[in-house]
Amino acid sequence: MSSLAHLEKKKTLFFPSVRDIFKFYFFLGLNSRRSRLFLLSSIVPIVIAAIFKGSQILYGQPRFSGLFIYSNMIMMFFLHFLILIMTLFFGSSVCREEVDGSTLPYLVTRPLHKMAFIVGKYAASTLLVGLTVTFSLAICFLILNLTQLGEGGIYKVLARDAGVLFLGVMSYMALFTFLGIILKKAIFFGLLFSFGWENIIQYFPGQTQRFAVVHYLKSLLPAMTQEGFPFLLFRLEPTPLAQSILTLLGIVIFFLGLSCALYAWKEFIIDSK
Amino acid sequence: MNPVVETKNLSKYYGNVLGLSDVSVEIHPGVVGLLGPNGAGKSTFLKLITGQLKPSLGQVCVFGQKIWNNPQLFADIGYCPETDAFFEDLSGWQFLTWMLQLHHFSACQAEEKANEVLGFLHLAEDKDRLIRSYSRGMRQRLKIAQAIAHDPQLIILDEPLNGLDPLGRRKVIKYIRKMGEEGRTVIVSSHVLPEIEAMTKKIILIHQGKIFASGNIHYIRELIDSHPHIISIKCNQVRDLAAALIKAEEVIKVFFTPDPQEVQIETRQRDVFFDRLQKLILELDLNVEAITSPDDNLQAVFDYLIGEK
Amino acid sequence: MSIRKKGYSHWEGQLKESAFVAWFPLTRLGIKLAFQKRFFKLFFFSAFLPALIFLAGIYVSERMEDFRFMIQGQPSFLQITPNYFKAYFTNSFFLFLLVLMMIFVGSGLIADDLKFKALQLYFARPLRKVDYLLGKMATLGFFLLLLSLIPGWIFVLFKLVFAGNFAFLRSYPWLPLAVVAYSLILTLFFAIYTLTLSALSSNSRHVALMIFGIYLASDIIFGIFYQNFHHPYLVLLSLKLNLQQVGAALFGEKLFYPVPWGWSLLLLIMLMGLGLAILNRRIRSVEVVK
Repeated sequence: MSSLAHLEKKKTLFFPSVRDIFKFYFFLGLNSRRSRLFLLSSIVPIVIAAIFKGSQILYGQPRFSGLFIYSNMIMMFFLHFLILIMTLFFGSSVCREEVDGSTLPYLVTRPLHKMAFIVGKYAASTLLVGLTVTFSLAICFLILNLTQLGEGGIYKVLARDAGVLFLGVMSYMALFTFLGIILKKAIFFGLLFSFGWENIIQYFPGQTQRFAVVHYLKSLLPAMTQEGFPFLLFRLEPTPLAQSILTLLGIVIFFLGLSCALYAWKEFIIDSK
Repeated sequence: MNPVVETKNLSKYYGNVLGLSDVSVEIHPGVVGLLGPNGAGKSTFLKLITGQLKPSLGQVCVFGQKIWNNPQLFADIGYCPETDAFFEDLSGWQFLTWMLQLHHFSACQAEEKANEVLGFLHLAEDKDRLIRSYSRGMRQRLKIAQAIAHDPQLIILDEPLNGLDPLGRRKVIKYIRKMGEEGRTVIVSSHVLPEIEAMTKKIILIHQGKIFASGNIHYIRELIDSHPHIISIKCNQVRDLAAALIKAEEVIKVFFTPDPQEVQIETRQRDVFFDRLQKLILELDLNVEAITSPDDNLQAVFDYLIGEK
Repeated sequence: MSIRKKGYSHWEGQLKESAFVAWFPLTRLGIKLAFQKRFFKLFFFSAFLPALIFLAGIYVSERMEDFRFMIQGQPSFLQITPNYFKAYFTNSFFLFLLVLMMIFVGSGLIADDLKFKALQLYFARPLRKVDYLLGKMATLGFFLLLLSLIPGWIFVLFKLVFAGNFAFLRSYPWLPLAVVAYSLILTLFFAIYTLTLSALSSNSRHVALMIFGIYLASDIIFGIFYQNFHHPYLVLLSLKLNLQQVGAALFGEKLFYPVPWGWSLLLLIMLMGLGLAILNRRIRSVEVVK
């Protein structure tokens, strides 16, 4: 039987707590029905890629090459839509899901660092979404570049894009985790930010562009051609590569740190059912 | 002996609404019943002592340390919440083993402990079913299971018997008493008085966010001077007895019940009354069947205290 | 002694069933709950801004002489013809406002009932599935019609008032009916779309994401395919464009894409049918969990 004295020996270490939370939520994310529904949405770009390739095979003479479609359409679909929706879903749920679902008492009454909960669940969600979008991106890439798979150089494109998407997932996930803790209507404001602010601000020249996360992600990609894609036109004045990566990592650390601090300080009132 | 849970002037406000007001209690090892009607502040009190809420005023210490943002204390605390909420996509087994692993038990240890407690609570057969398919009683038992599986020294149970069938209730009550006898601290909240009476004699009465009384049931009853004690006597010559007692100074009221062989007396001085009764029994040669105190129980104590306020 | 002898008696009256009464409390509650949400009142009143701007345009069109200092000639966008109505009803921002309204009002309509297992409570009363759905749809319909039908009729009314004659109605006698028809199509489509998604999850936040995500994704996918294939029938991929095609046809104006508007209408009807089938399956008083 344990005694009060052994409390002194059982220190709640931060990283083991993070590891335990991460394992729990990664497993839960894989098995949760609603998570699977959102992860299934990553099949949409694969279907789009398959249709493009199918039409190329059937009708020949494609208007754009496979790599071109991949870089300018599929990649943009991921960047402008898919990762935003998925990170908003998972990120805002990091804390809000436990509060709305009244499962928070089970977690706060365990010997776990409060901050470890945020970090662990954030890590699980990021890995889940990151792996899904990377896998989906890779399949799209393979489908659209079927005839060029022997060329080693094109895999650098895939690696670069996967890295950019993963950085995007990390940044947006941290931001939406923070939103989920401070706001009850995190989804609404997240949508306003993702499809309002992030879209509009890109059309502003100069330094204003730098107030959007997507600016730094696009700065890591080669300049897009404006031919034939008027709905994607914007005046990107890219930030240097190293600065972009550092800024994105800074966004992750800043919002994640803020989330941890807020979560540790705030009390959550669970409605009795 | 240091108290396991100690609160000093503990108060909690939800905006302008008072949840708890100036509560100072010391809880020592054993079973303590936290009793009060719905909305009295029981759950608020339990959430404060489990660190889920921050005190607006005062302080709360568990195992001699402040509980807020002190996760290492939870290695020895088990909490069963009132709300019916789970990770519905998990099976009972998965949920319990994960909860144990969050207590830093290894996978093997977690499985062993989960098997033990699920067997005890009759959930072993259904452990692989999804929680969403569990009945109300099974969900309640699972909640209790996650609170006790890691062998905590302090067990806090918020309305643990809700939804349990009579056999399940008996089992849990027996377990709670056993934990108390082993020297652990068990705090059980309920608004069902017979349940609390079956578990413990130590109670904390709470109403409208305030502690009305705290201690042994009988001791509290003795303190309620404003309410006379009722004593019921069953014998063969009730009218003779009544006629004799009505003259006594310490007797406030004498009344008859539908039972023709019973008379009830109201008195503020139990000891003086019982002395007189002994003499009367001998004088009148009464054949007394039973002498009981109908209001020397938790319900009566509770009603008197709530009624007063 | 039996209970009857103590005065117990059966009520001899007739149960009065009113089809209207059955679902109306649901609608009333839904509207009340919508207004209790924080920020909703602000959003609700802001949603009328486009209508106010178009109404101002009608006023300006009748008082061109007074606004000569600002406007030269007779700009085409200030000519009050069916095209003006089409411009209001089919513009992307207006449709986006309706989607936001659905997110605010509709995301939790059925999802919250599923979450709190309230369907059992509803169907333990003399309430049919149809009544339940009608009640929920009427909640959404209230807000949708407030933003579509009412402004449309107000435009017609104020045009007549500002013009001081009925020439406008004589020129376009079918216009009020077109307003009604398109408002009803918008209302029915968005109501069924929202309720279907709300019935698919017990978490209103996820439903909100789905409402927005599917609407936007359909448009983005159209854009991706159209840029590559330039085939006009790809317009059927976009929910927004289908609604715009039907709107343009009902107001007697040029279609956005050279695709018969009947296809768009058929697709919308098929989607509504699918939505109703899903709703029929999901709304049950007892949920069997395996």
